[in-house]
Amino acid sequence: MAEIVGVLGVTHNPLMWSVLRDSVPDDLAGVAANFELFRSMVSDLEPDVIVLVASDHFHMLMMANMPAFMIGKAPSMRAVHPNEVRQFGLSPSVVPGDPDLAAHLLGGRDLTSGIDFAFSDEPWLDHSSLIPLLFLTPGLDVPVVPVLTNCNAPPIPTADRFARLGAHLRESIASYDRDRRVLVVGSGHLAHELGGPRQFLGTSPDPDFDQKAVSWMASGDLDAALAATSFDRLTEAGNESYQFLNFITCMAVAAGRPASFAEGTPTRFGNLPFFAWESP
Amino acid sequence: MVNKVMWEVDRSDVSLEAFKESPGEFLDAWVTKGERPVSPHPEGGSLTEGERDALKAHDYGYLYAMGVNPFLLWQFARSVSVPDEMTGEELISSFREAVEPHGYPDFHT
Repeated sequence: MAEIVGVLGVTHNPLMWSVLRDSVPDDLAGVAANFELFRSMVSDLEPDVIVLVASDHFHMLMMANMPAFMIGKAPSMRAVHPNEVRQFGLSPSVVPGDPDLAAHLLGGRDLTSGIDFAFSDEPWLDHSSLIPLLFLTPGLDVPVVPVLTNCNAPPIPTADRFARLGAHLRESIASYDRDRRVLVVGSGHLAHELGGPRQFLGTSPDPDFDQKAVSWMASGDLDAALAATSFDRLTEAGNESYQFLNFITCMAVAAGRPASFAEGTPTRFGNLPFFAWESP
Repeated sequence: MVNKVMWEVDRSDVSLEAFKESPGEFLDAWVTKGERPVSPHPEGGSLTEGERDALKAHDYGYLYAMGVNPFLLWQFARSVSVPDEMTGEELISSFREAVEPHGYPDFHT
């Protein structure tokens, strides 16, 4: 049977790869150290497959047809799009997939989970998937099942729906009949703004939100997190903070256990999230 | 539909070059495609005169105030204005001045 060997939540700030690739600027030393720590955790956990909960930025999910959640099921997937190569200095990459586990998470022949997943047989991942993978599995050699979420185009699924997604992933992975060590990775932000008046301020747009968010993870208090992550509260934290919701999914996969590591690492880009639940 | 055309310009190198070369012609062609959509992934769309003018003029404050998606707006602005018109730092500053008076418009579609 499959086993969840760990749950991680990390930043997908798209500039991290280019700014950390050659040398580590002083204000990013903590981020580099945390990525190194998390890479070492992944190496120790020896996952056979990663279930990656990541927001799509209008690459697979667009207003012409906008689902809430989409599972990618393909043996291999392209990663990053031309605008991400142009703007973030990322390289087009190929990531191995696991269509059998992906099909199982969808429900096999019947979409029975209570979550109306969309699916794609031609998933094309963006920076929100590739940034965590580049840091956690630099060889891009662990198969990935992407679970892409709509955190960018309102109406955005409510926090409790992200929690139900996590509960579904937990139950579904536990019922998978193949012997697999499964690592769940959430990709997102703490308080974050883009395209609004508070972008690139050199600090977090809402340090109070960040502090509370880290405490929810450290205590495993899912109810407190759900009560304080409405659309309006997340907008107050920054108009791109909805991507925090992917970490609500991580909390639900970890079933209320306190995180073994929880930090909002301060940088010029705001506080960057690093959460870990080992052996949840 | 403004979200869609900003997305189209940003996501494709070919579209970005065409828009920068001749924004009016690009937008005309985009609207023409929208008049004869092909299922299931329709290209193109419709634009009001105000939207069309704001896109051509890179009037980010106008677009922000009308409630376009802020992520798509920033990506569009970054792609069309940097480095041809200004540096990234200059865009951050002028963009903030343009959007700040408008607070946080509803960007539901």
